[in-house]
Amino acid sequence: MEDREAVLFKPMEKTGRGFYLVVSILGLILAWAAFAYSRQLAIGLDVTGLNRPVYWGLYITNFVFFIGISHAGTLVSAILRVFGAEWRRPITRAAEAITVFALVLGTGNIMIDMGRPDRLLNILRYGRFQSPLVWDVVSLSIYLTASLTYLYLPLIPDLAILRDRPSLPRWRQWLYTKLSLGWTGTEVQKHRLERLIGIMAVLIIPIAVSVHTVVSWVFAMTVQPMWHSTIFGPYFVIGAIFSGIATLIIVMAILRRSFKLYSYITDQHFSNLGLLLLVFAFLWAYFTFSEYLTEFYGNEPAGMRVLFAKLTEEFSPLFWAMWLFNFVVPFVMLSNRRTRTVRGTILTSILINIGMWLERYNIVVPTLTRPRLPSPVSSYLPTWTEWSVLLGSFALFAMLYVVFSKVFPIISIWEVREGGEIAARQAPGVHAAEAAAD
Amino acid sequence: MLVRTINGRAVKIEGNPLHPVNTGKVCPKANAALQVLYDPDRIKGPLRQVGERGSDNWQPISWEEGIALIVERLSEIRANPGPHTVAFMTGRVRGQMGGLIDRFLAAYGSPNHIRHDSLSVDGERIGNELMFGHREQLGYDWDNCNYVLSFGRAFLEASRPTVRQIRAFSSMRRDRPNRRAKFVQIDTRFSVTAAKADEWVPIRPGSDGALALGLANVIIAEGRYDAAFLQEHTFGFEEWKDAEGVIHEGFRSFVLRNYHPIQVEAITGVNADTIVRLAREFASTQPAIATGGRGASMQTNGIYNWMAIQSLNALVGSIEIPGGVMIQNHPPYTAWPDLPADSLAEAGRSMPRIDGAGTRSHPLATSVYQSLPAHILAASPYPLSALFLYYTNPLFSAPDVRRFYEAFQEIPFIVSFSPFLDDSSVYADLILPDHTFLERLQDDEIEPSLGYAVVGLRQPVVAPLLDTRDSGDVLIQVAKAMGGGVAAAFPWENFAHAVQFRLSGLWASERGTIRATSFSHFWDELTAQSVWYDAPYAFGRWGRVFNTPSGKFEFYSQSLKNRLEARRGEFSWDDWLDELEIRARGDALYLPHYEPPRFIGDHEYPFYLNTYKLMTHAEGRGANAPWLQEKFGLHARRSWDAWVEINPEVAKSLGIVEDEWVWVESPLGEKIKLKALLYPGTRPDTVNVPFGQGHRSYGRWAKERGENPNWIIADEYDRVAGTAGWYATRVKIYKA
Amino acid sequence: MPRWGMVIDLDRCVACQACTAACRAENNVAFAGPEDTELGRAIFWHEVLSEVSGEYPNVRGTFIPRPCMHCENPPCVRVCPVGATYQDEEGLVLQRYERCIGCRYCMVACPYAVRYFNWRDPQWVESLNNYRNPDVPIRPKGIVEKCTFCSHRLPVPACNQACPGNARFFGDLEDPDSVVSQLARGPRAFRLLEDLGTEPKVYYLREGA
Ligand SMILES: Nc1nc2c(c(=O)[nH]1)N[C@H]1C(S)=C(S)[C@@H](COP(=O)(O)OP(=O)(O)OC[C@H]3O[C@@H](n4cnc5c(=O)[nH]c(N)nc54)[C@H](O)[C@@H]3O)O[C@H]1N2
Ligand SMILES: Nc1nc2c(c(=O)[nH]1)N[C@H]1C(S)=C(S)[C@@H](COP(=O)(O)OP(=O)(O)OC[C@H]3O[C@@H](n4cnc5c(=O)[nH]c(N)nc54)[C@H](O)[C@@H]3O)O[C@H]1N2
Ligand code: SF4
Ligand code: SF4
Ligand code: SF4
Ligand code: SF4
Ligand code: SF4
Ligand SMILES: [Mo]
Repeated sequence: MEDREAVLFKPMEKTGRGFYLVVSILGLILAWAAFAYSRQLAIGLDVTGLNRPVYWGLYITNFVFFIGISHAGTLVSAILRVFGAEWRRPITRAAEAITVFALVLGTGNIMIDMGRPDRLLNILRYGRFQSPLVWDVVSLSIYLTASLTYLYLPLIPDLAILRDRPSLPRWRQWLYTKLSLGWTGTEVQKHRLERLIGIMAVLIIPIAVSVHTVVSWVFAMTVQPMWHSTIFGPYFVIGAIFSGIATLIIVMAILRRSFKLYSYITDQHFSNLGLLLLVFAFLWAYFTFSEYLTEFYGNEPAGMRVLFAKLTEEFSPLFWAMWLFNFVVPFVMLSNRRTRTVRGTILTSILINIGMWLERYNIVVPTLTRPRLPSPVSSYLPTWTEWSVLLGSFALFAMLYVVFSKVFPIISIWEVREGGEIAARQAPGVHAAEAAAD
Repeated sequence: MLVRTINGRAVKIEGNPLHPVNTGKVCPKANAALQVLYDPDRIKGPLRQVGERGSDNWQPISWEEGIALIVERLSEIRANPGPHTVAFMTGRVRGQMGGLIDRFLAAYGSPNHIRHDSLSVDGERIGNELMFGHREQLGYDWDNCNYVLSFGRAFLEASRPTVRQIRAFSSMRRDRPNRRAKFVQIDTRFSVTAAKADEWVPIRPGSDGALALGLANVIIAEGRYDAAFLQEHTFGFEEWKDAEGVIHEGFRSFVLRNYHPIQVEAITGVNADTIVRLAREFASTQPAIATGGRGASMQTNGIYNWMAIQSLNALVGSIEIPGGVMIQNHPPYTAWPDLPADSLAEAGRSMPRIDGAGTRSHPLATSVYQSLPAHILAASPYPLSALFLYYTNPLFSAPDVRRFYEAFQEIPFIVSFSPFLDDSSVYADLILPDHTFLERLQDDEIEPSLGYAVVGLRQPVVAPLLDTRDSGDVLIQVAKAMGGGVAAAFPWENFAHAVQFRLSGLWASERGTIRATSFSHFWDELTAQSVWYDAPYAFGRWGRVFNTPSGKFEFYSQSLKNRLEARRGEFSWDDWLDELEIRARGDALYLPHYEPPRFIGDHEYPFYLNTYKLMTHAEGRGANAPWLQEKFGLHARRSWDAWVEINPEVAKSLGIVEDEWVWVESPLGEKIKLKALLYPGTRPDTVNVPFGQGHRSYGRWAKERGENPNWIIADEYDRVAGTAGWYATRVKIYKA
Repeated sequence: MPRWGMVIDLDRCVACQACTAACRAENNVAFAGPEDTELGRAIFWHEVLSEVSGEYPNVRGTFIPRPCMHCENPPCVRVCPVGATYQDEEGLVLQRYERCIGCRYCMVACPYAVRYFNWRDPQWVESLNNYRNPDVPIRPKGIVEKCTFCSHRLPVPACNQACPGNARFFGDLEDPDSVVSQLARGPRAFRLLEDLGTEPKVYYLREGA
């Protein structure tokens, strides 16, 4: 037992060359992105490829995309917890961290998109509840608070464990002491924590659903062609969970490999998630298809122009790539046992993430390029600034993750212990089998 | 024009509601005048070129030095080789400026005031002279007109006076309950005017005369003409016998014989049925006006085209009636005083003109602007010693500009009065910058339109921003410094005094909107109202309408005949007509007829090149105004650039796609690179390029932006009139 | 309380763009320059929309002068998170420049695309500063602006004042006897994208007899 757990402490206790290498590369990318953004701050959004009528572009795409993948954590740690799925235990924290970091990046991108970030507080001073954007601000803040809490609560017992490890440097022990809030693991404490986590787990599900619904409403509440749709709420939620799971799979794979967590994150987990992914691929395809079919039969000229922009005109490569990545590939790879391998699932997940980013892009941009009234300019080409910010966003995501797993256990130690106890009670010997397979 | 000023700054331009032409409205160009006034690239003060010509190497000098320099040069030249070797080229000579320059040259001793009219509207003017006896553009009573046939007149985009025409267009359509006029635009391209018109007739380039005569044919054949008018007010409609007893064919039989709609369809590409329909509509929807613009009149066959168009008005009696053609009245100016006797000046004035106007090459011309390079390069009839440029930019605006560049090298002394460092001024030796029009006093007799006389008076609305001087003042200062007869010809202290002198006639006439007991009261009132105008046009004063030998509208132009016949003995008649490139012989020579247009370039150059003006362009002058640039081509949805309009089917066959760079090359061996605009309103045999871009110099926003088609347009002529054949160049296009 | 409205007679309009130029002069709209114009960054509170379509020789040209529609039911106002765009008591849809956060939500929501963003600080080159109209503030980078129906010079908008075609009318739609009310009720009247329910207060009169 203790040996197996050593793996969980190792990343926090030993810092290898790889860590510094990764952090420096990410740091360089971040510095570059920061430079690009500071230029944008000084000059204005002129440095982007945005224009009239394509007022929104890459940044808003990123926003929707990151909010989407934030559903990874909620899904795994809350939904699975509520349903008592035991295999969730090793990955709950990893998932919850995705949620928090993705939310940070989502909101970050929307601020980057603002013409006057210096006036951010005007939203508090003058916020109007009639504006879907304010719904967004509210639901995002709630979601972020809830997710942070939900990340933090189960961390407390682990912080106490860490606090008690003498091998860690002084400042970290101090940090853990402060953060663990005097956790000693008494039954009362345990009971309280379990209840709190239980409540949060239930609460966070509707919050998460609301967040992505509201994000979709930002678009759906306008009268613009192919935005003004009643199914946008569920459509966005489905897409969010879809990309959330895919992201989770990727993160799991990275963690498993870099922290050698083979005994905690098993092939079976990948296979389970792969199946879930397949289900969502079908759901996504169903929503997308009905959305486009309705538009096509509606035959409303403004909508048709957008539709054909995607089906056959300049957006068609992106549109069909999206179908390939979001449906064809998952369908082929995941419905077949022989291709639903760990590698196959990971590969599919990466493609799904690209596909879902394209989906967001295909929602945001084509509509804007086809205004109802004639306009001389109607194209959009993101500039290097925007690409840099996109790259920087991913780098920041990775950086947050790397640093987080350096300071905090990315696998929930106590939950795994607890799970081990439950498992031991139910099926002794499983651990031994897993250990052998490793 | 009213200008709102705040603390001496002009912030907004609006029309003068008292002005009968503008009635408080202005076009976008006038709005953008603020960007002309405050153009950061204006010349700051007098400059002398110290480097090579065109090197743009300038030394600021004082006004005194500048004027002294001119006086010195002019005095030298006057003595040797003689005053006639000095020429002025002018463009927008407003109000008294034209007369002042004429007078300056006359007093100095030169016949060479070369106006830009031969590039512009001389085709119309000369055509009118031949039929009406007035060498000027006509007035039109649009407000009462029910049907308009416009042959290549960019009625809503250019033409003149634009704002008045726009208002008239609006009023023809909607100001008269239940009487909405029909407007038919005959044009080789689908212009904004064509788009707004009720019908667009895409005609084959250069064939307007044939179309007009085809319409005449139907009107005559169907007896739809105004017999009484023809009888009373026209000459040459029926067969007639001259003093020698020779029988001449009348317009009636000439047209019936030659211009059957089927024949005309073959020439113009306009369907015979359409011709018949338009003729019937025109003749039955009275009053109707047939008019035209440069598209018809500035062709190699422009004069005859114009005569054909005007004969339509005569056929239906649309002359001197409400809703028809009017003969413009002019203001009762005080005549310029006689010039003092000066034998040197008289000798100079009687020399032949440098541009060949009025000679055997261009017998009807009074200015042949674009012929200057040929004459200068050949030193014929004499070399030029000095050239003054006032409000004109030949190195941009003339056809085949390269030859102008070459000619400029041969002129020893060039002076420009431009406030802007335009394409030509960069090649000047001396620049004495004028005020811009918001900084100077300027009277203006507006273009013919209302029939009655209108004089506008523009007051300076802001103090001059820079060290500039009114060119009129400078001219008077030069004259005074020259001394002798030249000085004596200018008894006025400055230009404003000269204007007052001329306008005192308005006061003395005791006519019009301003009456006063003394001239100084009159002037104050004029200054306050900015405009004086006469009583509304009185129709039916036939005595002044036709100033022709017959006193009537001449289908058969006796004045053309007289002017050509006068030289019959001097050289071989047929050779001469060949030289003038007129194919007609006999009576047809003096009748409106279809003279096939000539083109430069054979089948290797498959497209006719058409250049045109846009509302957002003011000849060469608007290019440095960002407001105009930013909305340059509305129909093309392009701005800040020039382009070439190509028929989409043709483009497809050439493999050219939208926005692709293409070369447009003419037989001159010159080519320009433009972006393709696949424009459905383009004839398959024609390409269109907007005029106005491609300055080599003018200011930061104008310079090297787009291309100037004048590099590839050949120097062709309607020779008899000396007018430019602007649409005579054929081109080829290919991917760049 | 008046409800300001505009009527543009397309039969009178000649697509001269004097309105566009006058609006820019009146409202201190800086030009964008060639590069930014090409990219679609130029600001035109008023624009004449143009479309030439068809096949030679059957070609059609449509030119529609387009200010802000001052919708009675403005989608732009509904979505603004901070009330930087709002409808005043006279029905004008206006901007509070100092409040706008530059999210451009109102722009994507406006079906008429009449809103303009300051992609950078406006250019007022040297001497061109002189003609700025002191009655209208200069807008900095990062915020949205649009036609105000010339609220600072009611009831004569600069575009109407300039129009040489006498094609534009302005007045109180509430007053049934006003010229605009009468024209708006006429048989030629229509509004742009009427089916969207935005209730524009700019009416057009159809071309033709
Ligand atoms: N906005 C604006 N207004 C102006 C000016 C300006 O620069 N800008 N300039 C002023 C001056 S100086 C002048 S002279 C007038 C000129 O006024 P217009 O003569 O009315 O103007 P252009 O554009 O030169 O007109 C040429 C028209 O003829 C057409 N065209 C070409 N070839 C043919 C042909 O073979 N047949 C027919 N039927 N049409 C043909 C062209 O397509 C074009 O529409 O405008 C004056 N008004
Ligand atoms: N291809 C092609 N060429 C054409 C035409 C066309 O349709 N197509 N149109 C032709 C016609 S109709 C005409 S009239 C000519 C016009 O051609 P130009 O006679 O050359 O007239 P602008 O281009 O107006 O040039 C006027 C010059 O006056 C100067 N200027 C501007 N403001 C002032 C001022 O306040 N005071 C003084 N003293 N000078 C000033 C400027 O330097 C400017 O370059 O172009 C002709 N050229
Ligand atoms: S048409 Fe010419 S004169 Fe009339 S307002 Fe425009 S620029 Fe001035
Ligand atoms: S036209 Fe657009 S900006 Fe104007 S009120 Fe309507 S929605 Fe708002
Ligand atoms: S850009 Fe400004 S006006 Fe528009 S919605 Fe955002 S805050 Fe409101
Ligand atoms: S009403 Fe005023 S702000 Fe609106 S388009 Fe007209 S001039 Fe511009
Ligand atoms: S100013 Fe008047 S005529 Fe000209 S485009 Fe505008 S609305 Fe039409
Ligand atoms: Mo002209």
